Amino acid sequence: MPAPATVRRALLVALLVLWELVPRLGLIPELFLPSMSKTLLVLWQDARIYGHAVLITLMEVALAMVIACGGGILAGAAVGGFARLRNLLLPVFSSLYAVPIVILYPVFTAWFGVGSESKIAFAGIYAFFPVLLSTAAGIQTIDPQFLLAARSMGANLRQQIVRVVIPASLPTVFAGLRLGGALAIIGVVVSEMLTAAAGIGYLVTLNRTILDSPRVFAAILMILLLSIAYYLLSRALERRFVVWQSAGKPLQLAQSPTQSAV
Amino acid sequence: MSAAIEVEGLSHVYGGTVPALEDISLRVPAGRFTVIVGPSGCGKTSLLMMLAGLRTQTRGAITCLGKPIPQPDPERVGVIFQEASLYPWLTSLENIEFPLSLRGTPKGEMRRRAEAMLELVGLTGFGGRYPHELSGGMKQRVSIARGLVQDPPVLLMDEPFAALDEQTRMTMGHELLRIWSTTSKTVVFITHSLTEAVYLADEVLVMSARPGRIIDRITIDLPRPRTYEMMATDVFGRLRDRIWRQIRKAD
Amino acid sequence: MKVIVARLALLALVLAAWQLLPSRGLVNPLLLPPLGDVLQMLGELVQRAQVREALAVSAAEVLLAFLIAVPLGALLGVLIAEHDYLGEVFKPALFVVFAIPKSIFLPLFILVLGVSFQQKVAYAAFTTTFVVLMSAAAAVESVKQDYLLVARSYGATQLQLVTRVYVPSMLPLLLETLRISMIFNFTGVLIAEMYASRTGIGHLIASWGENFQMKQLFAGVILLAAAAILFNETLRWMEHRVSTWRA
Repeated sequence: MPAPATVRRALLVALLVLWELVPRLGLIPELFLPSMSKTLLVLWQDARIYGHAVLITLMEVALAMVIACGGGILAGAAVGGFARLRNLLLPVFSSLYAVPIVILYPVFTAWFGVGSESKIAFAGIYAFFPVLLSTAAGIQTIDPQFLLAARSMGANLRQQIVRVVIPASLPTVFAGLRLGGALAIIGVVVSEMLTAAAGIGYLVTLNRTILDSPRVFAAILMILLLSIAYYLLSRALERRFVVWQSAGKPLQLAQSPTQSAV
Repeated sequence: MSAAIEVEGLSHVYGGTVPALEDISLRVPAGRFTVIVGPSGCGKTSLLMMLAGLRTQTRGAITCLGKPIPQPDPERVGVIFQEASLYPWLTSLENIEFPLSLRGTPKGEMRRRAEAMLELVGLTGFGGRYPHELSGGMKQRVSIARGLVQDPPVLLMDEPFAALDEQTRMTMGHELLRIWSTTSKTVVFITHSLTEAVYLADEVLVMSARPGRIIDRITIDLPRPRTYEMMATDVFGRLRDRIWRQIRKAD
Repeated sequence: MKVIVARLALLALVLAAWQLLPSRGLVNPLLLPPLGDVLQMLGELVQRAQVREALAVSAAEVLLAFLIAVPLGALLGVLIAEHDYLGEVFKPALFVVFAIPKSIFLPLFILVLGVSFQQKVAYAAFTTTFVVLMSAAAAVESVKQDYLLVARSYGATQLQLVTRVYVPSMLPLLLETLRISMIFNFTGVLIAEMYASRTGIGHLIASWGENFQMKQLFAGVILLAAAAILFNETLRWMEHRVSTWRA
């Protein structure tokens, strides 16, 4: 049996080939599935427009991440680290997690208009709870003996935080950044698709309404590339900086139940 | 022989209501290897924490090398825990250097002393390995090296070999005695294993179930250096038997 | 006990703020109507035929999508968990898939199925299948090999392994799968309705927002949030009941 990675690559290539041939051979109307070459051509022709849209989206994602990761990680660390807070708030937060945040989106557009602010606010809140929950859970996995050992070696409070707590939290923080970024991208793209005047999600909707399929697919492709690029980047950073944590441990499916399916 | 550790009338109550230790008094002479045994939950770990300055007793006095020990003092007392608790983001060498780095020791000196400790515990060449690359026994050796790097006169060890398999335990016990014999440190060692207790100790203190009291002090007269063959002798068996009977009475 | 009181106090504080801040003019009541007005509006809305129809449509979409996604996702998830080779091929791909906003495929569903009930169900089922798949695979993987080994050494047949070991062992996780999948399912339906639809509660909420009918909007938000939390807590309670044996 061929190596799994090879199979994956082969499937990917097959997919791309199908994307090119199936519409060309007329098996599926071009309206539903424009060929890959048509899509790439249109992307090339309108590179300026798409580039500009991607930049706007990235800006919104970055700012949303400040809210979601900045706030979510700090709040998650606080909730996870202090038993009183944890017992009080964690069940509340995980109950709130059940509510589809998307129902708040019309509220944000009513408050902030259709510009970037509503996207940033929505995506920020959208990613906030999962990052908080993930960080709180991660903080609890830190071996409590670490601090005991540090104290026995005479570390003062500042040393305990800087030399022990922070390095021990790095894996959790990186996971939070990865999760927060992914969810921020999702949140921004969804909100741009719903009501917007700019951004790559907006381009999807705009071109759909005028039935310009190649341009719709070009926008979809850009979003795909963007989210995959972020995933690969954050995984690479994680491996580079937190090599000791994932060493020898296989990827567990059970680790990411809080990932979004949107 | 002067006392390295003196405990006078120590009692401790958890959370104001649960008595944990009751009227403990003991005297550990300098340079001696003392082992504490007792049933689970008898408070021996709590006692060790207090000797280390990691916890404060409700009542009674502890003197270590002539002074009280209200907070951890790693230059006086080194502590080895059951879980090696090595920091996974540091290499073995960096883990050993850790206590020195807390004091701002210059890099060259840290490296030198850490490598000396690494050699002492028989792990020369493994300094660049991360904890996840080490076996359980090796991790404990690094943990011991870390506890020794500041050359404290007193060493407290809380079931350091409990998580290891039997064979490794025996090897480690033997190694520990070797290391100890090259220094004149005072050791207080907690274990559940009666064999280990008799093998290692100059004196075994037996504690009762909660609230923990010292119910027997057994002097182990076996000659040093201790050998594996001694474990098969009658003397060894009788000593171990005596400890066992005391513990069963205590339950 | 004290904790529950503290939480209730927290809730009361939030609700009180929602009532008082707008009604005292500290927060613009046009942007955030006082809680009392919103609840009153909620009472009215629930009696309107238009709202009831919208709720019925959405409920139907949610249910149907769920009924499609759960068996499909469960089947795929079990396959991936049971066959190591398939798992090795597809698991890394699944992680990537989860990083992608699946809402980008909405236009495709619309292109093929038009703006319709089927399109919304298909989209929601599509997104939910992945969640079910992953949770189901995790549930299967969670069954300890030891349990299976013991049963097999006593001669259990494949069917017995499934019914006497897998199912009881996985039951809490299966319930959790249903619970989490429903959250995403609900989200999928709402997004599809908000994006392009003429029916459904998602569409209603979006249009209330567009028309600045804030009281209706917040009433809708409260209604949906309450429904989501109710379902979630019910399933969580059930999970708790069947998992007392878990560490």
